[in-house]
Amino acid sequence: MPLIKAKDNWWWRRARVFGLSALSLFVLGLALSPVERPIWDEVKATQPELNLREVEGALGQGLVIGLIGGFRAIIADFLFIKTNTYWENKDRPNTEAMLNLVTAVDPRPMFFWLNGARMMAYDMPAWEAQEMGGYANLPPAVEKNLKARYAELGMNFIDKAGSFHPNDYRVPLEKAQISINRLEDPAQAAKYYKEVVAMPDSPYYADRIYAEMLKRSGHQQEAYDYLRALYPTLPRDNAMAATNVVLERIRELEDELDLPPIQRLPTQDTEVRPAFTAPSENNGFNLGGSQSKEKTNVGPSYGLPTQDFPQESDSEHDHHDHEHDEHSH
Amino acid sequence: MSGGSLNRITTIARNTFLEALRQKFINVLVILAVALILSANFFRQFDFGSSELKFITDFGMGSILFFGSILSIVATAQLFFSEIENRTALTILAKPVYRWEFIAGKYLGIFALLTVFTMLMIGLLAGMLSWREGALMERYPDDFAEGRLVSYGGLFAYGVLELLRFGIIAAITMFIASFSNTNLYTVIVSFFVFVICQLQYVARDGWNDIGNPLLRGMVWVMALLFPNFQMFNVAELMIFPGEQTLAAASAWGIFGYGIVYIIAFNALAVLAFRGREI
Amino acid sequence: MSDAIEINGLTKDFRIGMRGYKLRAVEDLWLKIADNEIFGLLGPNGCGKSTTMKVILGLLEPTVGSCQIYGVPSTSVRSRRDVGFLPEAPYFYRYLSGRELVRFYAKMCGVPKDEIGDRTEDVLKLVAMDEAAHRRVGTYSKGMLQRIGIAQAVVHDPRLVILDEPTAGVDPIGSAAIADMIRSLKERKKTVLLCSHLLAQVEGICDRVGIMNRGKLVLEGSVDELLEKKDMRSLVVEHFPASAEAEVRAVLEKHGAKLASVEAPRISLDRLFLQQTRDSDQLHESEKEEA
Repeated sequence: MPLIKAKDNWWWRRARVFGLSALSLFVLGLALSPVERPIWDEVKATQPELNLREVEGALGQGLVIGLIGGFRAIIADFLFIKTNTYWENKDRPNTEAMLNLVTAVDPRPMFFWLNGARMMAYDMPAWEAQEMGGYANLPPAVEKNLKARYAELGMNFIDKAGSFHPNDYRVPLEKAQISINRLEDPAQAAKYYKEVVAMPDSPYYADRIYAEMLKRSGHQQEAYDYLRALYPTLPRDNAMAATNVVLERIRELEDELDLPPIQRLPTQDTEVRPAFTAPSENNGFNLGGSQSKEKTNVGPSYGLPTQDFPQESDSEHDHHDHEHDEHSH
Repeated sequence: MSGGSLNRITTIARNTFLEALRQKFINVLVILAVALILSANFFRQFDFGSSELKFITDFGMGSILFFGSILSIVATAQLFFSEIENRTALTILAKPVYRWEFIAGKYLGIFALLTVFTMLMIGLLAGMLSWREGALMERYPDDFAEGRLVSYGGLFAYGVLELLRFGIIAAITMFIASFSNTNLYTVIVSFFVFVICQLQYVARDGWNDIGNPLLRGMVWVMALLFPNFQMFNVAELMIFPGEQTLAAASAWGIFGYGIVYIIAFNALAVLAFRGREI
Repeated sequence: MSDAIEINGLTKDFRIGMRGYKLRAVEDLWLKIADNEIFGLLGPNGCGKSTTMKVILGLLEPTVGSCQIYGVPSTSVRSRRDVGFLPEAPYFYRYLSGRELVRFYAKMCGVPKDEIGDRTEDVLKLVAMDEAAHRRVGTYSKGMLQRIGIAQAVVHDPRLVILDEPTAGVDPIGSAAIADMIRSLKERKKTVLLCSHLLAQVEGICDRVGIMNRGKLVLEGSVDELLEKKDMRSLVVEHFPASAEAEVRAVLEKHGAKLASVEAPRISLDRLFLQQTRDSDQLHESEKEEA
């Protein structure tokens, strides 16, 4: 007669499987955490924390779950495309609100910050001016005031990028460009360019424009000292470093400062003539490529050529009309 | 593992894979995903400069994650329950086939399907990026002064990690299917678990701020119970290694993490399936 | 030699719903099936036949009791090496051809690679499906599905073949073919366990039957033993004249017996149908030949 025994009851078996599964997963999680923790810290460091309070109202719950669930970049992209449609319609309040939302959702892409700052500083005053009959019909004081107001908006916007990209030269560079292009304030531009040139990977042309801004704001001596110190550090074989241009600037400043020959930079091998007469160069600031000292970053091509400087005061009209053309087809 | 086992597992896997290819739903999903990736062409109408590549990548990887997760869950549940409901599992398990062999075979068939899906999508995305990058390089040479921005090796390496994330989702679904009674229940619970795995980092990274010790303990346990899927969100680091890159050791770490969880959930599926009455 | 199947005190309970209402499908079942026997497990739907069969196949675990196949516990995968199974209303992978399907199950059963081809063709012939083997399973009729199901059940040459409702939903011709197949399995020294609720169909096939009702085995024995009315005999007489009846009655009375009834013997409807269809098929064939 075989042994007959009642098998365990069903609930107990089910509970046992669940309990065993949970326990194994827990132990596995515990065992993996020394491996997981450092990797997760590394990954997390590249993902700025999401300020949910800022975006919750604007997005609705579904999108918020998408956001924290790993679809952050793509949601930001689509919000930016929506921003773009507001921008095409010259809708100031919505463009501004959307730009703030996009950068709150994903502050990582510099592209959003740079384009946002430019929309604010360059396009929005043009839209408002258009509503008032165009820049041509505005009294200079009103135009100046208008530009100043939006320049500040753009600068405040790009300033926020600084906390997410503390070592990105493009943040102060944008502020410097707005300072000179919109506020026509070389002293303020020089202040930002000083920040730019102190940063890693900043482009060679920034050094040259920095000196120019110093010069324009009446600090010839500082400009000269800066370029003198810079010149020997520039690589001779890199066209972007434009050593000949820097040398020409040095010679110009030596003339301007009327330095005695003994204090001047000795004649260089590359010079064909002693630089006592300054070469005439219109504006003198189309200084060549945007090549950075180290490498080029994923950069925006919104259309504002970073090296073209300074812009004519109305050049943004042309530029943005061109943008509109781009977008309208 | 004996040769017989291997033979049975590969036979079941092959059959599962072929069956998957015949499922209308799966085909529709793949076609949709392909169409979405190709529609990234839409970004051309904007003048995003070299950032167009970021848009294409975000869009492509977003589509792959979205459709891949659905595929991992629905295909696994579907292929498992079609065997149970159509009684083919009955015929197979009435043969000298171990339950673990059945689970392993089914899983490998599904993993083969996910591999084909992921690599097809990544290949398409790579083609799309390469074509657009070539065009953009001509138009904006300054942005590409240092050469190409997209790392295609990184893209494929990321594809492997994404595949492992799908692999974990499929293994979780297999585990849930192994003890649940219906396809629908399995799909719903699996989606729920998937969302927990995607979001658990929110609670866990904030657990220090939780005052209530009981709640804190619960969050701690939850974080250890479920794998952290955000570990796999490294697309940007691997595809655009310009600004920030992922250390190779970390990429391998994520790879290992994925493999361990795939094995673990399949082992649990076997444990639960062993006691299942067919 | 051990019995093909030995079931000792099997009880199987199921839980219905979350609250755990218990349903007893099989209660205290004791059964032995000898080698090379055709055993019919009979009974109405829901009487516990299929549950018993699933326990034998290791698909269900007994709540109480045990089951052994040729001495090996049915819970062990090893016991299934000697078992072939045709489920009720089998559904196979529809996109495979009949031949691919049989090969698939041959692989599952661990048939050596170099034997798979021969074994497959052999069983396809056995079930008379060799001509339709290239067609997709999805295109098969119910009877063909059952036959291909039997083919996959015996492809690994098991000693025990378990058939669940092999003739359910199959027309009489198909049923007769399946019955022939089952007999030929016995000739090949197989043991067959047949579950059915179509009692008339299994009557002529089984050596022994067991009848189950509400989870219990209510009757068991050889078919002849169970069906024969031991105290009666019937005589079949050709050209019986009605006038002779009185004399026959008198003779029987003289020997102390009694003529209970006189009636014309009948063949079963199944048989009549088979005869008729066979005749008309033959006619059709010969007409075709003449044409």
